[in-house]
Amino acid sequence: MRVALFATCLADQFFAEACADTVRLLRHLGAEVEFPAGQTCCGQPAYNVGHAREAKRMVRHTLGVFDEARYVVLPSGSCAGMLRRFYPELVPGDRSEALASKSYELSEFLVRVLGVESLGDGLAGTRVAYHHGCHALRELRVEHEPITLLRGAGAEVAPWSADRECCGFGGLFSTKLPEVSAAMADTKLDTLPPVDVVTSADGGCLMQLSGRSGHRGDDVRYRHLASLLWQGVGA
Amino acid sequence: MSRGPGAYRAEAARSLRDDPGVRDSVGSATRSFDTHRAKAYAEIDSERWRDWARDVKTHALTHLAEYLEQAETRLTERGVQVHWAETDRDALAVLDAVVGRHGIRTAVKAKSMVSEELGVNEHLERLGVRPIETDLGEYIIQLLGEPPSHIVGPAIHKSLDDCRVLFHERLGTPLDAPPDRLAGAARDALREAFLAADLGISGANFVAADTGTLALIENEGNIRLSTSLPRVHVAFVGIEKIVPHFEDLAGFLQLTARAATGQPIGNFVSLIQGPRTGDEIDGPEEVHVVFVDNGRTALLEDDEAWEALRCVRCGACLNICPVYRQTGGHAYGWTYSGPLGAIIAPGMLGLKQALPLPHASSLCGACADVCPVRIPIPDLLVYWRERAVEGGLAPLSEGLGAKMYAGLAERPGAFAAAAALMRHTPWKAVGRALPVLGGWMQERSAPEPSPKAFRRLWEEGIE
Amino acid sequence: MSARDRILSRVREAVASRATLPHPGPFGAWRPDPVEESSVEGFVRLFRLAGGEAHLVDDEQEASEWMVRFADGFESITIGRGVPASLHPDLPVTEASAAALGVSFARGAVAESGSLLLDARDGRRSQLLAPVHVVILRADTVSGTVREALTSLRHDLPSAIAMHSGPSKSADIGQVMVRGVHGPGRVIALVVGASEG
Repeated sequence: MRVALFATCLADQFFAEACADTVRLLRHLGAEVEFPAGQTCCGQPAYNVGHAREAKRMVRHTLGVFDEARYVVLPSGSCAGMLRRFYPELVPGDRSEALASKSYELSEFLVRVLGVESLGDGLAGTRVAYHHGCHALRELRVEHEPITLLRGAGAEVAPWSADRECCGFGGLFSTKLPEVSAAMADTKLDTLPPVDVVTSADGGCLMQLSGRSGHRGDDVRYRHLASLLWQGVGA
Repeated sequence: MSRGPGAYRAEAARSLRDDPGVRDSVGSATRSFDTHRAKAYAEIDSERWRDWARDVKTHALTHLAEYLEQAETRLTERGVQVHWAETDRDALAVLDAVVGRHGIRTAVKAKSMVSEELGVNEHLERLGVRPIETDLGEYIIQLLGEPPSHIVGPAIHKSLDDCRVLFHERLGTPLDAPPDRLAGAARDALREAFLAADLGISGANFVAADTGTLALIENEGNIRLSTSLPRVHVAFVGIEKIVPHFEDLAGFLQLTARAATGQPIGNFVSLIQGPRTGDEIDGPEEVHVVFVDNGRTALLEDDEAWEALRCVRCGACLNICPVYRQTGGHAYGWTYSGPLGAIIAPGMLGLKQALPLPHASSLCGACADVCPVRIPIPDLLVYWRERAVEGGLAPLSEGLGAKMYAGLAERPGAFAAAAALMRHTPWKAVGRALPVLGGWMQERSAPEPSPKAFRRLWEEGIE
Repeated sequence: MSARDRILSRVREAVASRATLPHPGPFGAWRPDPVEESSVEGFVRLFRLAGGEAHLVDDEQEASEWMVRFADGFESITIGRGVPASLHPDLPVTEASAAALGVSFARGAVAESGSLLLDARDGRRSQLLAPVHVVILRADTVSGTVREALTSLRHDLPSAIAMHSGPSKSADIGQVMVRGVHGPGRVIALVVGASEG
């Protein structure tokens, strides 16, 4: 099975090891992973702040990069959401419909396409808090998949009353309205149960929460879901 | 008193910094409302109810002129005086005539967001009339001299202790009075107002066109009293409040109550057809309905944003919004706040005046999940952001940045090179002064780039 | 051109080129688990859940006896015009704003929402001003759904119909629920022609 990895601009620079773990995970599950070198940015940051023209340029570029792919897997719920939900609206046509129908966030791909539920026992004894990124949750309706995989690898997923609330990243929102954005992160962090690690399918959310934790001096560990799941394989 | 939407960031920051109690009070009130809403939605086939409500409102809006005319005919047949107000000044002028003709001295007000929007209270005071808010939450903020913070619970930003202090000062209740003692003091003070007032002012939640019925929902009973006891009743009604049939109210009364507070229906619903009839022993002698435009036609004219006119003012979007929760409504600087305010302000006030409200959102999408009439709120927020860019209202540096970024994204080699440059620049030292980075670093520690970019790891081979 | 004409003209033009949608039809109050209970049972259950009280009596004779017992201790009453003479408690009748107890006759009730239907012709003041409110309701006037109730009302609409679904309440003071804020803090439905259980 051929799978093209769309690393996403943010993960390429800030979560490179998580992207590598994504590759390892997919190969472990029998996929042949490609990395089309022309990939850059899905266009979401520009689209979200209203620069539709610039976003469309990036959409067209990305459509070309993944034309030949059989499946496209992203270690990012928000970028996967962009491809699935907004590409066909921004650049209507067969190409965007095709890309939308073959693009998946990582945990979604594992559970819905590969039918995986239990990766191993590498997370046995680990207490995890899972942050549901808004795009994965509401655009892709990815909700139980990450939890299933984490538990399936032995992790205990701790109840967290604010787990489905927005972390306050929202792309440029975090820098346009930093005070409110930080207060939103505080709402998450103030209710965080005691856990070994906090994880999410979105690098932006992890940056936001870990950045705020750092500023507050909280002692919390953060890891990208892809890395945690690779650890879950327990090889 | 309010500095307008343009001051949103500053007002939000100030509120967070100086009034942490507001964040606590608003947070717990909104969470409570939302929990009740979720339970009330789970009892019904909420998807189907919301589809129905969306379709009735869409149908009504696309036939709005016919239905408005039909409502006017029915109302007039029942002896109601119908007025049409293009602007807030036109709407307030109706009060001039009523006050003048009847020598009105006090007016009791049922909670009405449109009356806030129009500035009714200030205008009444200019006319020498004493306006008395009768909804308990509105009464509290009237005593404080503040605008409402939420469209259903105007005083959710005030804690029980805040109310104790206020009532102690103004009504003489003990500082440790329990809530029912405070409510009792307000009830006694307001009862006199109800009995003595010459004029009652309300809004309307819905107007059924085929019977000319004004439908008003409440829990306290102050709307029933305000629209029954005084001799004259004036109702200000946004033109978008029309529903086609009397029986449609069955759906909207129940869905709005479930969405707002999680109740099957409001405790008191008033279905008003007109002034008292010959065989009735009480009720107002004169009823006026003022159909208010005040920017609603401008919103209706917009091919995307007109969907916002389906709004039933339940407040569910405010209650679930993680941004609104941090500050309550005052920071938004307008009558309508939260996601609702953000999508109607650009149409009703104009985009320039409404900014940055469409940006006061992380686009999390929670609001769209709960809206009883399925307004595509996040899509409309992005729409207004696009219109702002097209209208030259976005910051210049942002536009240039977007163009530059798109240019790089189309050229993978250049993109990678620029990223490499970014990783090696000691930007952290000057980060605080930079436009985007500065905002980040003000509240968060700076992110560390990975030692090597992933594309480099790929080139080197992944084991 | 008047303001009315200008507004209507703008409205017409705004929607002129927009696709129209037909009315989707009557509201069906669709539920995943429809409740199996009689209309009276449904009304009583929801009314009590919202803080209202309900007493069921078989006939007017029993209703009269109940009223005598209940009214004992109240100093004054205000009575709605639709209340049958046999159900008038033997107490001094005062102006509504001075009455300790208000008695009304309901036009009907609704099971789906737990609501009493009160007609303005019965007298609005006696429905609103006394702190304790008894509403006499004939069991055979209880509609199953709000929609059915509205359909049955529409041929004969007074200046106002009110739906009362419980005692007056508010949570505006620090989010704590209090009763009897403006309308009656205690409301009792006396259902005539049905029995409990």
